[in-house]
This record gives sequence, C-alpha cells and structure tokens, in this order.
Amino acid sequence: MGPSMLPTFNMTGDIILADHISGYFSEPEIGDVVVCISPHAPGRAVLKRVVGTPRDSVCFDVTEKERKYVNVPDGHLWLSGDNMSNSNDSRTYGPVPMGLLRGRVVARVSKEKKVFFDILVTYFLSCPFSFW
Amino acid sequence: MGIFGRLRASPYTIPTLKALSWVPVVLFVLENGVSPSKVEGRSMQPTLNPDSNQMKRDIVLLNKWSATSHSFQRGQVVVLTSPTNPKRQITKRIIALQGDTVKLRQGTEKVYVPKGHCWVEGDEGFHSNDSNLFGPVPISLISSIVTHVIWPPSRFGPVEVNGIESKRVTLGFIPPDSDDDYCW
Repeated sequence: MGPSMLPTFNMTGDIILADHISGYFSEPEIGDVVVCISPHAPGRAVLKRVVGTPRDSVCFDVTEKERKYVNVPDGHLWLSGDNMSNSNDSRTYGPVPMGLLRGRVVARVSKEKKVFFDILVTYFLSCPFSFW
Repeated sequence: MGIFGRLRASPYTIPTLKALSWVPVVLFVLENGVSPSKVEGRSMQPTLNPDSNQMKRDIVLLNKWSATSHSFQRGQVVVLTSPTNPKRQITKRIIALQGDTVKLRQGTEKVYVPKGHCWVEGDEGFHSNDSNLFGPVPISLISSIVTHVIWPPSRFGPVEVNGIESKRVTLGFIPPDSDDDYCW
C-alpha cells in the first residue's frame, strides 16, 4: 500500500503472495521484491525491490544529477521503491540488515490475470528450486 | 489381526497419543514464549560466561513474548540478529534507545540514535562486536529478552537491568507517529 511501488503495485493496496521459506535456504537476489520490516518503525512492514546485495557499490540516488556511490556492508541490502520520486527507502534509512526481511513476493493476486501470470512465471524461472 | 487392531488393543496407544498431542503446545511456547538457550563467547563478561574457560557455558532463559511489543528499557540484556550476519544471534545490553545521543566508547565522537533504532553494547568492551562497530541497530532485530541465568546453579537468578550510563548517554525523546503500527 502506498505510492512507493507504483508501476508494479497499486497505490490503494494489492493482495500479494509472499514466500517466507526460501529465505532460509537462499539469499535474496538483485531484482527481487521483498517484504521487510521498516527500520524506522518496528510495527510496520514495507514492500521494496532489492537493488544491491552485500559488497556491491550502489548508486545512492538515480534521480539526482550528481551520482554518488555507496558500498553495501556485509549482511545488508540496498532497497529501493520502483517509484523513485516518491519512496521512503534506503536513501532515507541506509542499507537494511537482512534480519529484517520477512519474505519474498511471489506474485500479485489481482483481477488482471495476465499480470498475475507474468509475475508468477518470472518468479519460477528465477526460483532456486525450479527444475528447469 | 491388522496393525490398527493391534494398536487398538495395546494399552500404550491412548497414553502415547495423549502425550503426543502436547508436542505442538510445547513447540509453540518454546518458539513464542519462553525458552532456554546457551550463551557463547565472552562479550557479556562478567554478566554472562564469567569464566574464560571455553568448556563452561551459561544457559539462560529467554523471554520472546515480551519482545514482540518492541518496547524496551535501557540496561536490559537482549538477544538480537546480528546486523552484519543474519544467521547469527548475538547477546548484548541496550545502552540507548531512539532519540538518545551516545558518546562512543573510545574517543569523544557523539552519535545520535535515529527513530526505531537502539544502541547495543557488550559488557566486556575489548572483546565485543557491538554498536561501536556497526552503529545503531533497528529495534525489530531484537528477538528476545534475557531474563534469568539457569545454569550454573551457583549463579541462578535474574539478570540485572543496569541503570542508564549517564556519563555517556544523553536522553532524548521522539514522539510516536500515527504511521508506526501500520501493517502492510
């Protein structure tokens, strides 16, 4: 819910399918959409996209003209919303510890069946347990 | 006689099934309520593991239920997921909460603890990887509160909550936001 993931997820709220198990076996990859506890408010969960994994050098803010680069420390992730102009993400609270992750988003359960199907296929093609 | 008939005839079947039905209850309490745990390492000396002998480990009682409210006091001993390695659990003492300003253990530099974060340190300053190294940690990384020492029996008793280190910590306050308890 909220405008931060706008092109992918609705502003008024979507029902999503999250996978809480694969985090025990594999580390999140770049491009995954994850559910994560907000570092600023312990009771609040946020939905963001993983942009940097540990030891990456990440562009701090793509929307600015001057590009600064930061290194992601061990055990942290650089998260970012898809809607960069209206998003509270790692630009405000820095790299996020992996211990705050609660799940990986598999699919959006919405009325548009094509979108649901597309996201599901993309997930299973990138899934570490897939057989193909 | 088939296997079910033999089971029904056995006098042990019913008591065994009754005992088995308690397994999920026990698992739930261990996972969400209270559970014993072993403490490794010497970062909490002299409160935990006072012997530097590697064979002797303290067993403590963790309270996971009261950690779910995310409200803690300064001086409590807590168990949290290490921010630098998500597979590791570390035991530290909360020094400062959100809004406070802490002076680093070495040097005079002051650090502000932002909203939703806390400052954790080990009691043994020289052998502890704590907030002096990785900075303030998010409060939701804390999984449980260490309440009692169970083993060894000679030191059985509650873990004491230290007061505020007034020389290093300047208290602050951040008013709660209406957005804080918003879930998904």
